[in-house]
Amino acid sequence: MSTTAPAPERPMPAPTRDSQPYWDGLREGRFVLQHCAACGKVRHYPRPVCPHCFSMETRWEAAPLSGKVHTWTVCHHPFNFFFKQMAPYIVALVDMDAGVRVNAPLRGIAESELKIGAPVRLAFEPVTKEVTLPYFVAAG
Amino acid sequence: MVHALREKAAISGVGDTAYTRGTTKSGLALQLEASLKAIDDAGLEPRDIDGLIPYFPGGGIAEDFVANLGLPDLTLSLFVPMGGATCVAAIQSAAMAVATGVCKNVLISVGRTGYSGARVSTRLQQFPQFALAAEFEAPIGMFAPAQLYAQGARRHMQLYGTTERHFAEVAVVTRQHAILNGNVVMNKPLTVEEHHASRMIADPFRLFDCSLESDGGAAIIVSAAERARDLKKPLVTVMGVAEGHPESPASIAQRPDLLEFGLAKAAARAYPMAGVGPKDIDVAEIYDCFTFTVINQLELLGFCKKGEGGPFIMGGRIALGGDLPVNTHGGLLSQGHVVGLNHVIELTRQLRREAGKAQVKDAEVGLVTGYGDMGDGSLAILRRAA
Repeated sequence: MSTTAPAPERPMPAPTRDSQPYWDGLREGRFVLQHCAACGKVRHYPRPVCPHCFSMETRWEAAPLSGKVHTWTVCHHPFNFFFKQMAPYIVALVDMDAGVRVNAPLRGIAESELKIGAPVRLAFEPVTKEVTLPYFVAAG
Repeated sequence: MVHALREKAAISGVGDTAYTRGTTKSGLALQLEASLKAIDDAGLEPRDIDGLIPYFPGGGIAEDFVANLGLPDLTLSLFVPMGGATCVAAIQSAAMAVATGVCKNVLISVGRTGYSGARVSTRLQQFPQFALAAEFEAPIGMFAPAQLYAQGARRHMQLYGTTERHFAEVAVVTRQHAILNGNVVMNKPLTVEEHHASRMIADPFRLFDCSLESDGGAAIIVSAAERARDLKKPLVTVMGVAEGHPESPASIAQRPDLLEFGLAKAAARAYPMAGVGPKDIDVAEIYDCFTFTVINQLELLGFCKKGEGGPFIMGGRIALGGDLPVNTHGGLLSQGHVVGLNHVIELTRQLRREAGKAQVKDAEVGLVTGYGDMGDGSLAILRRAA
């Protein structure tokens, strides 16, 4: 992919001090989530304070890759020119078994087979040396 | 107990520019043009304006208004950062200002070059409210509102059997109303078949499910009700007004229920404040960034049960002459996108009986919603008081 002619640029994440461990995890091929070190509850997207107990102490733990489809869309119009080459593409919003949601492309499944509750598994796609993005594939 | 703000404020003036696709004017110029019309409509002079709530970002800020309108003594300058919920939520802020005597006349205004200027995705990247979507969703190909809201619409269809025929009903009826209005971008009839044949943007949203990118300006003036009684036009008072903020306000993806947002909380406050319920509403102007959004909001407003919005709108119910005429001006879908301030203007004109061919007969009480920033909501209930 890196050897092809210049193409429109993909919008890239700009990790913050709060979110950096999440992106580091993806780059290492792990789905790492922020947990409250005091009460243990998971939260996503990353942020400094636990909304349940207001602790600012956090720990990052690898979470299972499994989840179920909550809903989806099929993107036809490329609002960013980079995605024109991929359209149409399915983006599934998934209830991860870890207790948070992840929005990511769902590949290898026909639009007609999509349904709420369908089991999927998170996978990793390195797009640069620094950044790995999640996507989903059908599970089981 | 009667709410402290109930009927303390009035919409004393309204004004809008031509709604177009293409203009050589700046957003600020459109905003000022509409503002001058609203001031004149109220029978006021620019110097009477002492409070400003401009829509932001885009258009002008307080400094621009002082410089252009020669405002001698501004006492309040606010932004209400709620995206499409801003314009109606700003009525609450303005009502607080005029009821307490901080201001006499607050100008709420929008100026937009949504067609001839920067497009929607470009603008949103700059909003702090969209920082999470920019970091976590834009890289995987989800960022435009059409995409972000499509997932909720799809879930509603799967859970409740809502169909694209229901979506088309909103688009077609709204277009019929737009044609009656005249000052609109989309002035040709639209059929259900044409809706279904329009290209897919983000499933389930087709082109004609999406609001317009257009150019235009709009403005209203909120004045103390007792003062507004002496102004030029029939008195339209604010019976109830509220804003509401959803769970997970900066991320639809992480919201426990994608179909539940700030409007439900606003409605729980605004109805009791007004002392009315859904059955008392003669006309409803509903923020229509997408067709489905109208259906979803009618549910949250209590016109029907959750999941029943699709069947509810059918059979002419939301058309002129139906039980609940909706978006009698053509809305964001067909009139123009001035972030919903045109909805407030239309409701005011309806209650003054100035709505021309789209006039709802004997309209006495109506409501207008705002919806934006991925789930913020606002609701105002207005009444013809004179």
